[in-house]
This record gives sequence, C-alpha cells and structure tokens, in this order.
Amino acid sequence: MTNRLRFIGRWQRLTLSLWALCLLAFILADTEIIALEPWNELGRMLSGVLTPDFFATEQLIDALWQTVSFALLGVGLGLIIGVPLSLVYHHPIVAALCAFIRAIHEIFWALLFLQLFGLSPVTGILALALPYGTTFARVFHDILCQAPKVTYASLPYGSDAVSRWLYGKVAHVLPQLLAYVRYRFECALRSSAVLGFVGMPTLGFHLESAFKQGHYSEGAALLILFIALIGTLPYWCKKALLPLYFIAALWFLPPVANIDSQLIWRFVSEDIWPQAIRDWQLGELGLAAALGQSASWAFELLQTQALEGIGATLVLAFAALGLTHLLVCLLLPLGYTALIGRIGAGAQRFGLLLARSVPEYILAFVFMLLFGPSMLPAILALGVHNAGLIAFLSGKNIKDSGLETEGCRGLDGFGYQVLPRIYPGMMALLFYRFEVILRETAILGMLGVATLGFYIDSNFSEIRFSGALLLMGVTAMLNVAVDAIARRVMGEQLRQPQRC
Amino acid sequence: MNAFAKLLTVMMIGISAGAHAATFTFTAIPDEDETKLRSRFDKVADYLETKLGVDVQYVPVKSYSAAVTAFRNNQVQLAWFGGLSGVQARRLVPGSEAIAQGYEDQFFKSYFIAHHSTGLTKQESFPAIGGYTFTFGSKDSTSGRLMPQFFIERNLGKRPDDLFKRVGFSGDHSRTVAQVEAGVYQVGAVNYKVWDSMVAEGKVDTAKVSVVWESPAYPDYQWSVRGDLDAKFGAGFKAKLTAALLEMKDPDLLASFPRQSFIPADNEDFKPVEDVAKAIGLID
Repeated sequence: MTNRLRFIGRWQRLTLSLWALCLLAFILADTEIIALEPWNELGRMLSGVLTPDFFATEQLIDALWQTVSFALLGVGLGLIIGVPLSLVYHHPIVAALCAFIRAIHEIFWALLFLQLFGLSPVTGILALALPYGTTFARVFHDILCQAPKVTYASLPYGSDAVSRWLYGKVAHVLPQLLAYVRYRFECALRSSAVLGFVGMPTLGFHLESAFKQGHYSEGAALLILFIALIGTLPYWCKKALLPLYFIAALWFLPPVANIDSQLIWRFVSEDIWPQAIRDWQLGELGLAAALGQSASWAFELLQTQALEGIGATLVLAFAALGLTHLLVCLLLPLGYTALIGRIGAGAQRFGLLLARSVPEYILAFVFMLLFGPSMLPAILALGVHNAGLIAFLSGKNIKDSGLETEGCRGLDGFGYQVLPRIYPGMMALLFYRFEVILRETAILGMLGVATLGFYIDSNFSEIRFSGALLLMGVTAMLNVAVDAIARRVMGEQLRQPQRC
Repeated sequence: MNAFAKLLTVMMIGISAGAHAATFTFTAIPDEDETKLRSRFDKVADYLETKLGVDVQYVPVKSYSAAVTAFRNNQVQLAWFGGLSGVQARRLVPGSEAIAQGYEDQFFKSYFIAHHSTGLTKQESFPAIGGYTFTFGSKDSTSGRLMPQFFIERNLGKRPDDLFKRVGFSGDHSRTVAQVEAGVYQVGAVNYKVWDSMVAEGKVDTAKVSVVWESPAYPDYQWSVRGDLDAKFGAGFKAKLTAALLEMKDPDLLASFPRQSFIPADNEDFKPVEDVAKAIGLID
C-alpha cells in the first residue's frame, strides 16, 4: 500500500490522513444545528460591544495588574521548576511525570490547590507554575538538544559542568530559549485571566460574571482591555523593565494567608480517598471489604463518567484539530503581504489577535447562541482560537524566513516556495497544539459539553474530591497516551518537538 | 538563575509572614447580579464591624463550591449560602449552624420556563416536558438544579438524562433565561426572583419565553456560621452576630442580597433540602 502510494509525498500523506481522522471525528460528533431565535440576545451583545463601559467594573486596574502579576510569577516559578528538570528530561520517568502534570488544565490545578491553600495567590501561581514548568522542561530540553555540538566538544579539558552547559549549549540557542519564554508569557497572560473563572482576582473573575449575567457593556470593556493587553505586549514587556515588574508583582500580591498544614494533611489523608477507605480508617469497615467497595466505586465511576468523557473529549479534540488545520491553511495566505497587500495583511493580523486573545469560553458562548447546544460551538471555538494562534506563529516564521522580500510573489510564490518551507514547522506546531486542545476541552466541559472536564467540574462542585482526582488521573493518562501515539505517527523526524 | 533563587526566597518569606490577626471574615454570592460584589458587600462588612466591634472583611468568591471550601477551611466564618451549599458546608464543618435566612427564603420557588415553539402554556399540574431539550442553572444551585431535578424525577419518574433530548447546565439563572428565550434549550428551570426581576427590567421577551410551571415552596438561602465562633471571638459573639443580621434594616444593605429582611433559622429548617439532595444522589 505504502509502496504504491509513494508518489504521494510524506506531507500530503500526513495531511490527508489527518483530514480523514478529523472528518471521522466530525461525523461522530454531535453537530446538530438547532433552529433558533438568537437575535434578541445577539443584539444585546452587539450593543454591548458598541457601548463598552469601562467604569462598570470595580477595581479594574487591580484586576488588570493581577492578571499580569500572576502570569509573571507563574512563569518565573515555572522557570525555576522547568530549567533543572530540562537537564534530566531525557530520563523516561521524568518525561512521563512532566507529561502527566502538563496534561491537567490550569483550572483543575487551581481547583485542587484551592482545597490546600484556599483563596490565596499561592493557589493561582502554583496552578500556572506547575504545567508551565513542566512544559518548559520539555521544550528547553528539545531546544538544547538541537544546539550544535561543536563548541561543547572543543571546550578545554577540565571545564566544569556549568560552564560546559552554559557556553557549549545554552549560548547557542539562547535567542530561541528567550523567544519561547516570551511566547509562554503571552500564554500565561491568557491562563492567568482564565484562573479568574475559579476565583483568582484577575480579569477573568469579572469577565466571566459579566458574560454569564448578560452585562455585555461591561464584558466588552473587559475584553477590549484584555486584547489590548496582549496586543501591546511587545511595547510594555521590555527586558529592562522585567525586574521592576517582578518586584512590583511580589509587593502588590494580595495577602497570602498562612499555609495551614492541617488542611494539606486533611486533604491527603481524608479528602482524596473514596468513602470506603475512610470508613476503614475509622475502623468501621474491614480492609478487604473497604478495598472491594473502593474497587467497585472506581469501576462505576470509570464506566459511567470516564468512558463517556474520554469519548467526548477525543471526538471534540480531533474535530477541533481538523478545523484548526483547515482554518490555518485559509488564514495564512491572507497574511502574506506580497500576495494580499499591506492593508489586507494588517487586517489579518488584527483578526488573528482577536481570535487568539478572546478566551475559547467566550467564543463558545457566542457560537452556542448561534448554533445551539451541540458539540459544534465547542469545536468552532477551539478551532478558531487555535487557528488564530498557529497562523500567528507560522506568519512569524514566514517573516523570519525572508522569503517575502526575495520576490516570491503571487499565489504561486506562496504555494510553491513559502508554504513548503514553513509547512513542517506548522504541522509540528499543530501537533504540539493538539496536546493543548485536548487540555482545553476541559474548559468547554464547564460549559456543558460532556468531556472529562465536565465530569471533573461536576465532582468538584459536588465536593467529591476522590472522584475528581480519579478523573484527573484518567485525563492525564489519556493525554500522555495520545501524545505517545502522535509522536509515533509523526515519526522520528519530528520526534524532536518544536518551539511552541 | 540567581535572580530566580532570590525570587524564590522572597516568595517563601512572603508565604510564611502572611499570618493574620483575628479578623472576622464572611462571604456571600447573591442570587442575582454579581457585579461590584466588593463595593456592595464592603458596606455590609462596615455594618457588621460597627455592630460587633471587631474587624470584618468580605471575601469575594466565584462559586458556591468555592464558598463551601472557604467556610470549611476557616477562611470565612460566616457565609450567605444557597440551600444546597449550606447543607454541604454544614456537613463538612461539625458544630456549624444556620442562624438566619432571608424572609423570602422560607417559601422560595423555581419557575419552569419554556420557549414559545413548544406550545406549552402555564398550568397547575406538572407539564409534560419529556423529549424536549432542557437546561438547569449552575450545577450546585438549589433553585436552578437541585429542586427542579427533584420535581422532575418525582413527577415524571425518570432521571433527566433519560427524559430529555439534551440536558445542559447554563451556569447561571440569567443565562438560563437568555438561552431558553433564544431557543438554545426549549425548557429550563430558574430562580423565581431572577425571572421576576428580569421581566420587571424588560430584559426578557415574554412573547418568546414564558413561565409554564411554578414549583411548590422550599427553603433556600441562609446565613451559616462555624461552630468555633464563640471560642475564637469571645462568648456571646454568635448571639451578637445573629442579632446584627436580624436587625439589618437598611434597604441599601438588604438590596445586595437581595432580601427584604432576615429572620431566624436553624439547621432543621433545611432538612428538606438535605433529603432532596440525598434523594437525587447529589450528596451521599
């Protein structure tokens, strides 16, 4: 089969199989469009966007600042965790552990830490730092692996390990490392805002309330501020100012309640165990009976919630992946100045800024009014958001490649010279992003699509931590498994995951 | 790296140095309008401060489950809970009790609302809503989830998943109204006060969505306190606090909840809520 299809190139084959898989997911997905009368509500939204009210939110400046501050501290602590881990990332156990931690969405880390540390900034910063740190570990490791070995080999005999590492490796790839940290900081701003959904004092706190309760003028104002914050990142996030920001972030941190070791102990000794085990601890149940009951509890949970959740999660993620790919292919040429002109390309860049800055949650909200409560709004929201991000990063690659100025004009120039050059990088980004899409299905679960995230959220709101934890474990394993399969499919060539 | 080591040290110091003096803290999530929570409830805090003679602080939270966690972890000693979250919280904190409820909360109710395309009209008996799409409010809401699900199961004999074409959780009462108005879901259950005030403010097109059934009355919101209050703030503190809540007469303060007044309550008042939560399997 492969032999006969050899005339189809590697990338064509990969693309076609991707489409086939995603199409299958789309067919399996519940995408019924329900005839609606959304115009009243959409009219209210539109009038909200046209009349943004910047004074409706209390402590707006504070919320803006805390969004930046949580992101800064989260990334800072993430680097402290990630840099050492990247040195030992080649160890399979470390890699697996990192993949496990990465696989769980910031929101769920926050819900978990909320039990341990309460409504304290520690909760939010750790919820960012853990997944970001383990992502840094992987990406730094991969970038460092790509560093040329020449310098490393030619350092004088007896050089100490730190010097060898710094001069032999880091010095070669420092721009890439810094660029990655910078990109992650933009991501952290988004995550930090999203943590507001569970009670951190960031923009998301007010944004979610405003949209949830239909205060669209307030919501629009918050959204505009948030987009402006991300859009102007290059202008205010200067290297020289960073130390100042860090000091300010620590100084103006909301009060940190003292950490109560009793809470932590109660959580690990009681909360996370199924009822039967706790009965055994209290001596009300024999060990054998307790284990038996726990097993049947776990089995039922897996059967009624996890299986269904896994199905919905995978279908949603693959359908969204396919849509993302299609949208990126459509959006990329629109940003190519030599093809579309300066104004068109500018409009595309602004569109991408909107697509990647507006939280998926809000997008899904609008799509749901338009298309009804099927999985379609979630697929669209994930697709649009991620396409915006990948097209933005790939667009940067085009710029860096210098092809635009080399006279690759017209659609032919784009199709035959530019696209082939950036396609591998773009696909790698897409596959990396799949891991993220899989995690983000969690957020849409909170909107009601029955993904694993939906069930985890339900368990948290019913104060059933043992169930929530079990499902979080399942989610993490699912992500690890999908990641392993994806790497195998992508083959050796792309096993070195890419910058993103 | 060095800078980061310093940062870490600073953070550690920050974590250990944040101990608090004995401040009395409370939280509240009103059932409508969550805007400007802090400015509104800071006024309530000021009122309690003058009545109780201790520092009082309001802690804003985002969801009932967050409120329950804060109460359980002693981050707040007093909370304005919904019926269900109050039951959840008091089960987790031994010795805690309900001390006051809203006047309206003695006979709270839910409305079932339907999109005009269903052809359903207002009726006394429970409407035949099987086969439609249906949305609850947030998952842990008493009037938007717990009681509606109970009435559905009792009247139609099936769990919502088996009964409806689709079941959603809009996350908020005003969302439920907006979604049923737009036909996203055909039927929904909503807190009666939220519906009434949305209608009064002209935020609903009643030609598109209308009330088809009113539930029987049940108890809902209440003030709950932790059991160790007197030990921490001095003997008689709980009684003083209860009196302060019951004497709250300033319409401006009451509007934040929004309730016309507060009346005495105890744990027994919320037994029906607990029984219902057990019956539908929301608590064990």
